[in-house]
Amino acid sequence: MNVAAQSELPLARTRPAQWAPALAAACALLILAATAEVVFDGAVGHSILIPKSPEIAGWLNGIGERLGYRVFLIAVLAFSAGYAGLIALGRSVSKRWAITLIAVLHVLVFIGPILLSTDVFSYIAYARMGVEHGLNPYTHGPIAITQDPIYHYVGHDWKKVETAYGPLYTLISYPFGLLGVNGAIWGMKVVAMLSSAGTLALTWRCARARELNPVTALLLVGANPLYVIYALGGAHNDLLMMLLMMVAVTLTFARRDASAAATVVAGALVKATVAALLPFMILARRSRKQMLGALGALVLGAAIAYVVFGVDGVNIVAALNRDAAFVSSDSFATEIAHLVGKPGVFPIDHDLLKAALVVIVLHLMWRTWRGYDWVAASGWALLAISVTSTWLLAWYILWPLPLAVISRDRRLLVATLTLQGLFIAHQLTPLFAPVS
Amino acid sequence: MSTRETPFERRLARLPARLRPRDAQQPGSGRQWRIETLVLILVGLLLTIATVNDVVLGTHVNHRLSADLRTWRAYTGHDFKNVSTEQDIYHHTTIDFVCGNTVPGPPKERVQICLELTGPVVNGRRAAHGGWYLPAKREDLRRYRYGCFGTTKAKGQCAR
Repeated sequence: MNVAAQSELPLARTRPAQWAPALAAACALLILAATAEVVFDGAVGHSILIPKSPEIAGWLNGIGERLGYRVFLIAVLAFSAGYAGLIALGRSVSKRWAITLIAVLHVLVFIGPILLSTDVFSYIAYARMGVEHGLNPYTHGPIAITQDPIYHYVGHDWKKVETAYGPLYTLISYPFGLLGVNGAIWGMKVVAMLSSAGTLALTWRCARARELNPVTALLLVGANPLYVIYALGGAHNDLLMMLLMMVAVTLTFARRDASAAATVVAGALVKATVAALLPFMILARRSRKQMLGALGALVLGAAIAYVVFGVDGVNIVAALNRDAAFVSSDSFATEIAHLVGKPGVFPIDHDLLKAALVVIVLHLMWRTWRGYDWVAASGWALLAISVTSTWLLAWYILWPLPLAVISRDRRLLVATLTLQGLFIAHQLTPLFAPVS
Repeated sequence: MSTRETPFERRLARLPARLRPRDAQQPGSGRQWRIETLVLILVGLLLTIATVNDVVLGTHVNHRLSADLRTWRAYTGHDFKNVSTEQDIYHHTTIDFVCGNTVPGPPKERVQICLELTGPVVNGRRAAHGGWYLPAKREDLRRYRYGCFGTTKAKGQCAR
């Protein structure tokens, strides 16, 4: 057997030890306790980790204490330990228990406050700009609606920034703008939860199609600490993008090439990153229907975007270029800059990172052309985007996770989880040296 | 090689063997796999070292900032929570400037006093060798600074 094939084996089926189910249950309880701690403490109100928000989880107030760094980081570490244990013992967990655990996690986060990010308030602000104020979110930032109640909740850095999300997402979000601020937040939470449920169901289905253990696949995605606390907790639209990504993968497995390619384009019209799948899908399937499907969806999407938002709604590249210039302290690029003694990332570094990304993608495209698993290649591309990005947020490292779980190259899963571990490790500074 | 027989596939079949597309990897691609794995391990090591380095740096900075805040409170005699700290991120020095209100009130809503703190942390504090005042509701910009004292006066860090 060649070395490449060794990494493509489905998980071996071995008889779990007798103590394994009890240990898996303990891990699940640890995950639930950590999530409950973050949600109940978050419900107390605004803190350094909880953005200012309308009181949507006030009825949970009184159970916890205001969420600070120390408790949060300990909860994330406990969650991560439980997650690692649960994955190691994945074969001891029954389908019913895995689904129950993930359902409870979803409900816990759903009933709680918006965690860790103000992005959802930006989504709502852009929606309200369109439906309540008649403004184009591709030409105006939320600062154009200072009198709107949502404005005070938009993150300080984003008040002057036009939307960088795709026109399909902006259109999907418009009806929520009519529901008032609280109604819109709950609407966004429903979208996030349903998107997550759909992503998990399709991950299960794809894992089965590839003869991988679907329970382990489900737990790897649905019980992931970054997925639950950051992505679901913040009701991020990345979950909707990931749903469309998994719909496209499922359709490709079913050999519905035109629909699959059209779905990737639809995903890119939600959040452009998912377009990274398209070249690998096309190189692997080499089907004319794919081209037609992608082209048809692109023409239709661009036409609708142009009619509704004008030329600015179509020019997503400009928004991506603007966002690519942002720098966050959590990005690996910034960390490497610090390692070599630089205070941060400079314009030349942006160019070097873009060049590195191009080389990686070209290598992956060549490998896919020569028979490498296109799902794995897509996952590597998404992972490379997050590693080379100077603006890295927790939910960006989640993009490749569902693909890593179902890919034929186990290295992708190891790499994705390692990067997530490093991201969490990088958050730990306040735990070692709190500033007071 | 693909078993699908579309005109496009037939055209691709005419390519040299090493350029033709395949539907699955051929056995014996272990060398490429090993090279890729080695590169991945090296990249992983680099990122791990960079992350650990950043956490250690951040820990040292936080330790220093805590000492700065304690020093500011000790010098001014005010136990205020909302005291802002600015680091010298451009020159890699450990000189920090800590500003806070001179009398109780919301952050930056009163006349502020800023201290320049330098040197190592000794007994949880650092040395203050100079500073300046800022009017209420003003950011720490040179044009707003006045009443420089100590080392900052000699360095001309105040506009007036």
